[in-house]
Amino acid sequence: MNDKISALMDGELDDKSTAEMIDWLGHDGDALHAWRAYHLISDAMRDSRMLSEGFTARVAARLSAEPALLASARLQAEPRKWLVLSAAASIAAVSLVGWLAFAPQRDAGSLQAQVAQAPAALTPALRPVADNKPPAIVPLPRGTNDYLLAHQGFSPRASLQGMALYVRTVSDQAQESTK
Amino acid sequence: MTRGRAFGVLIALASGLAQAQSPEALGWLRKIQDATQKLSYRGTFVFQHGGRSETSRITRYVDAGGDIDKLEVLDGVPREIVRTRDTIRCYLPESRVVKVDRRNAERDFPALLPERVNALARHYDISLGENGRIAGFDCETVLLAPKDNLRYGYKLYADVHSGMLLKAVTLDSNGDTVEQFMFTQLVIGPVSRDMVKPKQSARGWRIEDSAAAPARLAGWELSSELPGFHKVSELKRRLGESRPVGQLVYSDGLAAVSVFIEPLEGRRDPVRTGLASMGAIHIYRREVANHMVTVVGEAPGVSVQRIADAVEFRLPH
Repeated sequence: MNDKISALMDGELDDKSTAEMIDWLGHDGDALHAWRAYHLISDAMRDSRMLSEGFTARVAARLSAEPALLASARLQAEPRKWLVLSAAASIAAVSLVGWLAFAPQRDAGSLQAQVAQAPAALTPALRPVADNKPPAIVPLPRGTNDYLLAHQGFSPRASLQGMALYVRTVSDQAQESTK
Repeated sequence: MTRGRAFGVLIALASGLAQAQSPEALGWLRKIQDATQKLSYRGTFVFQHGGRSETSRITRYVDAGGDIDKLEVLDGVPREIVRTRDTIRCYLPESRVVKVDRRNAERDFPALLPERVNALARHYDISLGENGRIAGFDCETVLLAPKDNLRYGYKLYADVHSGMLLKAVTLDSNGDTVEQFMFTQLVIGPVSRDMVKPKQSARGWRIEDSAAAPARLAGWELSSELPGFHKVSELKRRLGESRPVGQLVYSDGLAAVSVFIEPLEGRRDPVRTGLASMGAIHIYRREVANHMVTVVGEAPGVSVQRIADAVEFRLPH
């Protein structure tokens, strides 16, 4: 069961299992204890700041002091938000998998190439102009490793860290090799 | 959740509660730099970014005839990078490829010389933090707090005796850790030349030589430079198997951003405009004048994107 708690923390469970696990955490004191311990471990590993003592109790007290109507509106709103989030996550996952799967085959087949050509003409128009517009988030480009290898030697940080910076180059290779 | 104890200190300094630059802290930066160059050592370090961590071994051999550094990744498929005075070789046993990059005095970024350390103070508040202990070494900490949101903050832990850098944390403007390098074990002292030899014989492997050489990329420039970032290098090289690429490098003295320019000819798939990231590295790609521009830098996404958006081509007169 501890595996499942850890999977829940990492957001690796599907919607149904997530709901079951949250339900279970609400009923099982040991499970809730494990859940908290895992978060504590993860925070410690990331050097996170601890919440002050009694934080959970204070939040719970504030929540129960909230007017009933507001509290229930929040509760109703919450699941919808989760749905949207998990849908977005699924799309992100699908597009990442799609990208990884298609990357090596991009050059094959002229039809595929034609399809790929079409959006190219649109690209300049889609270029972000406004400074305050958040950029589109895309996966690391193919050959990221080559760019990093070419770039790393120019980082003045190397004079403080020596070779260590090159690990970034290498770790990207690890990603590439898994596709 | 905020992970900002360190950054709290940085903010306090940035807001001028303490003196802006302590000469002691600048002295420590120089001490770290000296140690990086002069010490021989062998150790194991962990690189953490975005919830991942990777363990590597690093060995440095200092010799009058030329220093040699070796980095070996201990997790997953064995891979190694060996740097000598004039080349960097990246051995990738899985694909049986050696990537070779030439170094030369002209294009290699000069180390943080004393005057450069002082110049850093224009963009960072540099101060000493509380002491710490890393991998059995008592450490002094040096904090570099950026004066704007165009660069990251850093917390460096250096051995109080030798000045050797034991841990380096990169922090974003919320004080969250973006990535960190940390030795878990380190022995400072002589190493043998054998210890920095590549394990791979690489016989029969494909060699990808970057053939990097200083060059003038006529017509390519930034319509406006990012505050504090100045052009430090301009060159041509090959990327991957053979693609010719132009590279412009901009730096604020600590962070560097490279602009790679490749002709679109022969490229079938469209250029996907957008931002990608890995730890402190951001990559922004867009199309300019029938070329693909890829900007790579250890700076916040906004900085990398601003540099990318400023790239333009003007017909040389």
